[in-house]
Amino acid sequence: MEDMLEDTVLVNLRVNGKLHELEIPAHKSLLDLLREDLNMTGTHMGCMTGHCGACTVSIDGRVAKSCITLAATLSRAKITTIEGLTEEDGTLSPIQQAFWDEAGFQCGYCAPGMLMCTAELLESNSDPSDSEIETALAGNLCRCTGYQSLKRAVKAAAVKAKEKAS
Amino acid sequence: MSLYPAFARPRDLGQAAEIMGSLSTGAMIIAGGQELMPSVNYGALMPEVYIDVGQIAALKGISEEAGAIQIGSFTVHRDVQNNDLIQSKLPLLSYAAAQIGGGMQVHNRGTIGGNIVAMHPLYDILPSLLALGAEVDVLSDVGEVRVALADLMKDARHGLGSESLLVRVHLKPMMPGAGWSYEKLKITAGGYGSANAAAIVTLDSSKITSLRVVVGAVSALPVDMSDTLSDCCGQAWSAHLAEEVEARSSAEIKEPLSDHQGDGEWRRAMAGVMARGAIEAAIKKAG
Amino acid sequence: MGEQTSETEGYVGRSVRTIEGRGPVMGKATYTNDISFPGQLHAHILRSPHAAANIKSIDTSGAEKVAGVVRVVTGAEAAKYIDPIPHYIDPAVFGGRSATIRCLALDHVWCFGQPVAVVVAEDKRTARYAVSRITVDYEVTTPVIDVEDALKDGAPMVVPGWDANMIMEVPFGSGDVEQAFSSADRVIKTDVKVHRFSTQPIETRTYNGVYDAGTDSITLHGTVQNPHPLRNVLSKILRMPENKIRVHAPVIGGAFGMKMHGHPEEGMVCFLSKLIGQPVKWVEDREECLLIGAREQVHSVELAVTKDGMILGLRDHYLANTGAPSSCPGWGMAFLTGLTMPGPYSVQNVDVQLSAVVTNKPGWNASRGYGKEVTALALELSVDNAARELGIDPVDMRMKNFIKKDQFPYDSPTGLIYDSGDYAGVMQKAMDAIGYDEWKTKQEEALKEGRYIGIGVGFELTPEGGTLPGTLVGGYDSSTVRVAPDGSVRVLTGVTTPGSGNPTGIAQIVADELGVRLDTIEVVQGDTTSCPYGFGNSSGRSTIVGGGSAAKAAVEVREKIIKVAAALMEVDESSVTMKEGVIASGDKIIDLEEVCYACYTRAYDVGSVIEPPLEATAMFKPGLVRHTPNEKGQINPYPSYSNAAYVAISEVDVNTGVVKLLKFSVAHDCGKVINPILVEGQACGAIMFGIGAALAENITFDENGRQLTKSLMDYVMPRIGDVPSITLTHHDSPNPVNYKGLKGAGEAGVGGSAAAIVNSVNNALSPFGVMMTETPLTAPRVWSAIQAAKKAQPQRKVA
Repeated sequence: MEDMLEDTVLVNLRVNGKLHELEIPAHKSLLDLLREDLNMTGTHMGCMTGHCGACTVSIDGRVAKSCITLAATLSRAKITTIEGLTEEDGTLSPIQQAFWDEAGFQCGYCAPGMLMCTAELLESNSDPSDSEIETALAGNLCRCTGYQSLKRAVKAAAVKAKEKAS
Repeated sequence: MSLYPAFARPRDLGQAAEIMGSLSTGAMIIAGGQELMPSVNYGALMPEVYIDVGQIAALKGISEEAGAIQIGSFTVHRDVQNNDLIQSKLPLLSYAAAQIGGGMQVHNRGTIGGNIVAMHPLYDILPSLLALGAEVDVLSDVGEVRVALADLMKDARHGLGSESLLVRVHLKPMMPGAGWSYEKLKITAGGYGSANAAAIVTLDSSKITSLRVVVGAVSALPVDMSDTLSDCCGQAWSAHLAEEVEARSSAEIKEPLSDHQGDGEWRRAMAGVMARGAIEAAIKKAG
Repeated sequence: MGEQTSETEGYVGRSVRTIEGRGPVMGKATYTNDISFPGQLHAHILRSPHAAANIKSIDTSGAEKVAGVVRVVTGAEAAKYIDPIPHYIDPAVFGGRSATIRCLALDHVWCFGQPVAVVVAEDKRTARYAVSRITVDYEVTTPVIDVEDALKDGAPMVVPGWDANMIMEVPFGSGDVEQAFSSADRVIKTDVKVHRFSTQPIETRTYNGVYDAGTDSITLHGTVQNPHPLRNVLSKILRMPENKIRVHAPVIGGAFGMKMHGHPEEGMVCFLSKLIGQPVKWVEDREECLLIGAREQVHSVELAVTKDGMILGLRDHYLANTGAPSSCPGWGMAFLTGLTMPGPYSVQNVDVQLSAVVTNKPGWNASRGYGKEVTALALELSVDNAARELGIDPVDMRMKNFIKKDQFPYDSPTGLIYDSGDYAGVMQKAMDAIGYDEWKTKQEEALKEGRYIGIGVGFELTPEGGTLPGTLVGGYDSSTVRVAPDGSVRVLTGVTTPGSGNPTGIAQIVADELGVRLDTIEVVQGDTTSCPYGFGNSSGRSTIVGGGSAAKAAVEVREKIIKVAAALMEVDESSVTMKEGVIASGDKIIDLEEVCYACYTRAYDVGSVIEPPLEATAMFKPGLVRHTPNEKGQINPYPSYSNAAYVAISEVDVNTGVVKLLKFSVAHDCGKVINPILVEGQACGAIMFGIGAALAENITFDENGRQLTKSLMDYVMPRIGDVPSITLTHHDSPNPVNYKGLKGAGEAGVGGSAAAIVNSVNNALSPFGVMMTETPLTAPRVWSAIQAAKKAQPQRKVA
């Protein structure tokens, strides 16, 4: 039985396309792994209870709150962080560009949740309604904008993404 | 409490049972982590061993066998919402799963098993499962046992902890033509539920022939109102009956919660409002 | 999007995207917690679980045994090395009681959550765990929680040695109040209770202290709104001169006042780093962040009115529960509430008195609105109540009592000098924007179907750019404009940004004044070593004084460039124009880079007409401020009086008490609009604060003073689904004493919008006779009010 217990855990994560093999302590959250072990600080800590969404990443194509995700449970996951939205040549993705152009953010601390959720929304819905945007962003708090500019930015992102696809 | 927890990743139910049987208290089963991690992050829980059940195939999948639907406990909310089988045969459950808070992120990671074993009074799944008469398979060192979810909840150790593992949920498909509703009252969009109710109703012309109603978020555990309100059967819904349902449902809440979601007096009143609203909405869908 | 006001060419007045907005969308903006250093250590703080207790002993041995723990420090040990925290605004300067505040409690705790000891460890989790191994022997004493209890005879003293639980009592007002009240047709009293709510930026406070032994100096990297003033505070705490201290504020993830200083952790990490010789970081938990309170006030507003709604006099003796003493500037909010009475109303007979009470709740810090939002709530709820009592329309009553636009500059009875305004015009714009009259029709129709729609208005006067004598709350600020040999521009300024976009506003101003392209400008803020002295971000001041000073500096540099350009082109200086980086004289055009390079490299020939380098530092000090007391002893700390009107449309579910907002409008007078999209963001953000305040956000305590609100599950902030569509209009009446007529756009809106919501709910429930004047209007409260009204008036038939 004891041989089933590991003191540290070996995880293989592909983060923004790059493979990382890491030996981590069992208790580590994905958020801490990204920030502390990989020095990827684009993903933010806001509450550590899963309420604010500032720590959002995508795991195997689905958004998740990295502060309440135990890294050890992700043995072979593909992770995309906010840094991974930028294209390899440094070009901003249509979503990033739209949020910047439309003053979607003020302080930008909530950006990981807003952008990653928008990306997932637009994958399956190229023309989201107000209420679909509200559902998609419901897991994220923004304290600066009053959400008006965020809604506008999601709609602009949808248009930009369509333009790019066509 | 340990600063240096160990990690176990059983490959199948047999290994899981073995690990659970051999460990003393302080081990914690982790699935999606949505319930456990906030406590871990704040140091309120410091498990000595994390038992990651994410590799166990038996906990996954949604299937129909012998007229019953099985949902693996590791099924995430989003899959409960979007699964064709659940949408067609258990639309109440699919809808209730979509009402879970925390946004897409939590829907993508949180599991039905985790939501059940949390036994959190404010969570969304239990009322619907109880209204649907769910049974669950629980694995422990004595093997796998099937129990009614309602009975499991009567057990003081219902939190399951590290000695036992919720394997799957069994549900009978809803009757064709049954009306259903899940009503959830929130003070604001970001709030947890202050009261909720799941209802399933069948009608014969306009008369109620069967009624299942479970009210949640107003007391420590959901309250099944079905027996209390059984004499609604045989009657047609009316303003008078609606008021009676509201009053009797409220009266059934003996020890209302009083917390950030609202004081006890209001919660008790809302139990009635939700029960009434859920039945009304279910009747509209029935037929 | 906000309306475009591009009546002139240039950048000012246009909605340009922020130059600083690229980093955040890429995940590449560097916030404080993103910075770590080799040897980085982490601190976790042991906080008092009691509201009031004597510390008999502390046993740290359990924590010291934990592997990875570097140091455990108690208050007694800290006191050997560091001094108390100077007050941001010392009550003693204004004749009040001033307590000694320490980074760690010595032998007594006066609130739940007060720091008692700190563990420094190699990682944050070890530090947290080790804190749980410290044993403190407390002798728990009886706390005072409510203001009423705090003022009772024989009440326990929150601060040992004080003779009253009171920071200060301040009378505001003038005129013949007795006469006004005795000649009034009616005196209508409204008890307004405003609850404790907080700003809660998504980025919590974070500080990283880095001691450099080689130079015996300290750098604090932190979530800091006011780096230069904090440097002075740190020098006192650490017993080091200011020139050995650098305060660096990286990108800030929202502040709203909470990151103004006086917090124990600022000095603590610096001291610990010096003690240990390694960098020490502390990151605030959300639970800790929720300890910082604000705005818990009990008002009793009496309006002396004529039967047709003229306000003749106002009386309001109010109590503020400021919690335990703190070095943060929060307590001053309560002062501003009184000073801003009677807001936009032309009432000269005023008797307002503040009692700033201390209790054993955690203390306050500055919060957006800085007390002026509570003025708005108290006044606007009282005016609606009075209008209902008098049977007149609440908008008519406001219009009747607003200061008229030809009355400016206006001397308020509390000594303020309002610069400019058109309050009736602002109100009318907000009503037109939402279709006020159409909503009245919709309301009537809805009521026939048993739906309760309410229409509420609120007005907020928000003095901005405040400065207090004898404190480092400065009114002026300074900026440096540097143009490099390649023609690119760097602006260094003493103001900071909490994320509101003011660097872009400042850059727009510099682009126009200097005559360069916006994309050639970088703005540097938040560093005491590189930026000129300034007071940072507060009170909606950053664009007013940061922009004003940068404009002056830009003009100086522009003159130099033009001189050398004229010399190079061999034309008369007066014929040279410079716009968007193009320098021309008639048909001749010369490259900006060529001119700038010449300024630096040809100091002995064509460049000798100027003094290089291309750099200037300038200061901007707005007018109108009066720090010398007038004959009544009053000062005017504000140069600028922004104002706004709000209209809220809500629907109340009378079965549950849940309030749903349907529509919102705001008309905003912030003077000249530099960048409409940024002003829109500020206005909508403030309205969201108002929504949270009016309906849900609430910090609560048990009867022993232990805080019950511990997470964002308990403290429920608005989400995207809570905020209705907001229509924004500007009503620009320029401030005559500020650069470009700016008034400030960051602060207004919390109280005015919250008041509009409360008024809309009362309006919706007027068929029941409900009038709620205690916030927040949570569903249970609204429901209870309806139940109580139904019981009180069982005969009233309600649709």
